[in-house]
Amino acid sequence: MDAKHSRQDSKEQATSAQPAEQVQEAEALTPDELAAQWEAEAAEPAGPIANLLSSLVVLGLSIAGMVLSVGLGLGTPAAPAAGMWPFVISLIAAVMAVAQIIIGRAGGRDGEKFSAMSWYAAIGFATLILMVVLMPVIGFEIPSLLLCFVWMRWLGGERWRSATIYSILIVAAFYAIFIAALGTTIPRLF
Amino acid sequence: MEFFGPVLDGFNVVLDPTNLLYCLLGVVVGMLIGVLPGLGPAATIAILLPMTYGVEPVTAIIMLAGIFYGAQYGGTITSVLLRLPGEASSVVTVFDGYVMAKQGRAGAALGIAAIGSFFGATVSIIGLTFLAPLVASFALDFGPPEYTALAMLGILLVATISGGTKIKAIIAAAAGLFLATIGRDGFTGAERFTFGNLSLADGIDFVPIAMGLFGLGEILYNLEERHRAATAPVKVSNVWPKGKDIKEASGAIGRGSVLGFFLGILPGGGATIASLASYAMEKKTAKDPSRFGRGAIEGVAGPESANNAAATSSFIPLLTLGIPANATMAIIFGALLIQGITPGPQLINDDPQLFWGVVNSMYIGNILLLIMSIPLIGVFVKILRVRAAILAPITALITMLGAYTIRNSMFDVLLVVLFGAIGYLMKKFGFEPGPLVLAFVLGSLLESNLRRSLLVLEGDPTGFFTRPISATLLVLFVFVAIWPVIKSAIDKRKTSSTTSAVVADKEKENA
Amino acid sequence: MSIIVGYVPSNVGEAAVAAAIKEASLRDEQLLIVNSSREGSLVDKNTASEEDLARVLDAALSAGVKAQVIESTYRDDLTEEFLGLADKHQVSLIVIGLRQRSQVGKFIMGSQAQRILLQAEHPVLAVKAS
Repeated sequence: MDAKHSRQDSKEQATSAQPAEQVQEAEALTPDELAAQWEAEAAEPAGPIANLLSSLVVLGLSIAGMVLSVGLGLGTPAAPAAGMWPFVISLIAAVMAVAQIIIGRAGGRDGEKFSAMSWYAAIGFATLILMVVLMPVIGFEIPSLLLCFVWMRWLGGERWRSATIYSILIVAAFYAIFIAALGTTIPRLF
Repeated sequence: MEFFGPVLDGFNVVLDPTNLLYCLLGVVVGMLIGVLPGLGPAATIAILLPMTYGVEPVTAIIMLAGIFYGAQYGGTITSVLLRLPGEASSVVTVFDGYVMAKQGRAGAALGIAAIGSFFGATVSIIGLTFLAPLVASFALDFGPPEYTALAMLGILLVATISGGTKIKAIIAAAAGLFLATIGRDGFTGAERFTFGNLSLADGIDFVPIAMGLFGLGEILYNLEERHRAATAPVKVSNVWPKGKDIKEASGAIGRGSVLGFFLGILPGGGATIASLASYAMEKKTAKDPSRFGRGAIEGVAGPESANNAAATSSFIPLLTLGIPANATMAIIFGALLIQGITPGPQLINDDPQLFWGVVNSMYIGNILLLIMSIPLIGVFVKILRVRAAILAPITALITMLGAYTIRNSMFDVLLVVLFGAIGYLMKKFGFEPGPLVLAFVLGSLLESNLRRSLLVLEGDPTGFFTRPISATLLVLFVFVAIWPVIKSAIDKRKTSSTTSAVVADKEKENA
Repeated sequence: MSIIVGYVPSNVGEAAVAAAIKEASLRDEQLLIVNSSREGSLVDKNTASEEDLARVLDAALSAGVKAQVIESTYRDDLTEEFLGLADKHQVSLIVIGLRQRSQVGKFIMGSQAQRILLQAEHPVLAVKAS
């Protein structure tokens, strides 16, 4: 099958005279060790470029917000017009974005780097959008089936057979609950 | 007995078989979804919001309370059995709970967690019963300036207390406030940021935002994160805690409950902080602190009592002031609004049956949780065996189809998906969705009160400081706003790098 | 040269390891005990606990066999993961356990053992639970 799916990160436990002791060591973790272990397992922080990019996006959006708000009219503090409040919010966001560009230029420890696995989320999003587009046209059954199958087979690493069987079962269950039992008006084919 | 009359009436409402059934359903479904990794109480409630549609308001809220407690306990189960905290508030449960499970005392740990949760909630509900009417009557005098200050303080506290970067949290809150302005302006009737789209004219509904950011965002995030090897099956034997266990834990449960109650009332406080504080307190007061981290039952009992007590008492600011104290309460606030209930000081007098029904439903929810949790542990262990690859599309479909059923609107589903992507990206770039959702919920309340106060005060912002309550709240607001700056200045003066490293580590831990 | 054995915590797995230990001591070769766990679910009954692994390792060591435990993970294809390990260590013999499964069950779930038997490029010893 696709080779990229079978990651070969075998952890080899060396031969040891007293394996039981080794096991003990691996299990008895103090809270501090556990916190350290979680930190080691956690994804890498997003880094300075991500910080800059996200702050710039926020800055751009807030400037757009300010421009649109001015278009709505600001009024005076005593008699504010429709644009006053959104203008103030956008201004705060813009100031904060600038502050974040300066303060967070070293990167900070928040966020997560995108990895090869992030494509999975992107594909997941694409299937969801596809479902939104298709549902009004051909009903929910076929898009749901497709979504289940794609998520199980390619995003989840199920085998062909189990992915097919589970997808059909799930869609049938949803049909039974949402259409037959609850009688909702979800667009449907059958 | 004038005071207790409505309280008892509330029990009558809750004990109605239909309501009990819905509560039971909520607890079970909440536990089932809460057990899934990555889906904490906020996500669980968000995903299941459509389930409460078309149901009587009281019944819907009873069900939500059940879902809430079930989800909370679901996180505890994975903490104890798998060392995987389902949510931030059960992180500390891992330390001793997992060790206990390894020692073959998983049943005792889960049992004491259920008993502690029940006790903590009981203390909080009793406290709530007496405190809520007081706060509500106090808040009846609040005018627009007070509400403005209170809402601002609430948003700021949630933004600054949440883990992660404060500035990013404030940006998220600003985004939430901005989204709340979309649609027709209530004062001038002008259409704001609708771009001629009819679906936007009435503004964005709260539900798609919550379902997208918390529900679908988390599901998308899990698609890339779930590549973790399975662990060996956990043996859960000796399910009930022994008398000795209960005796050992009783002090911790009592202390945790009281601590949790008070921490839960504070805006921005809540279950996570309460559980951390309780663990620290238990460790400090213990005769032999070295037992902690090695299977001390107090280390499970205290935090679990505290987080449930806090989760319950954070209903106080929501029900009496109409100000949700944290993200989960923001979602419940949204759910109440959908049911046509506006939480606030008037609620307790205008609709006492509903108010006390809600309060007592929490009580029933906890009793059901206590009864259900232990016999069902076998079921949960089986659920843990289902692969995420199969669960992910199921939760995604529940969210999508659920979102459609709310208003039979495809546009809502599209919004859920878009906000799902935004939620995912926010998580990747280190922005918390909590402040956004909270700010969105409070957005229109904040704006209308601010504009009303400006009208009353004739555009003079210093007028806020002439009223004692709003002045106090605003001083507090300013203090909270500049506190990080002060704190970093103090930290800088302390040149010892070790302390700051420890603090930084702790903060990361809390996040 | 070494012998590789697939271990799962069940009768079949124990029988396979027992046979593999016998074979390893007969041939005087190193024994590789593999337990591969699937990614995705939180709990899997085919994943051996630390205690189980320690116990089978102990059994091998006390039989005078040089043994090593290999814990690996796989995403969708156990057969490929297992055979990959066999290739990597250039084993002289693969030992697997066979379990009873109905024709229908085999059709729906497939059979890892069958695929290993067919696809392996090394000699395979298949063991049934006693």
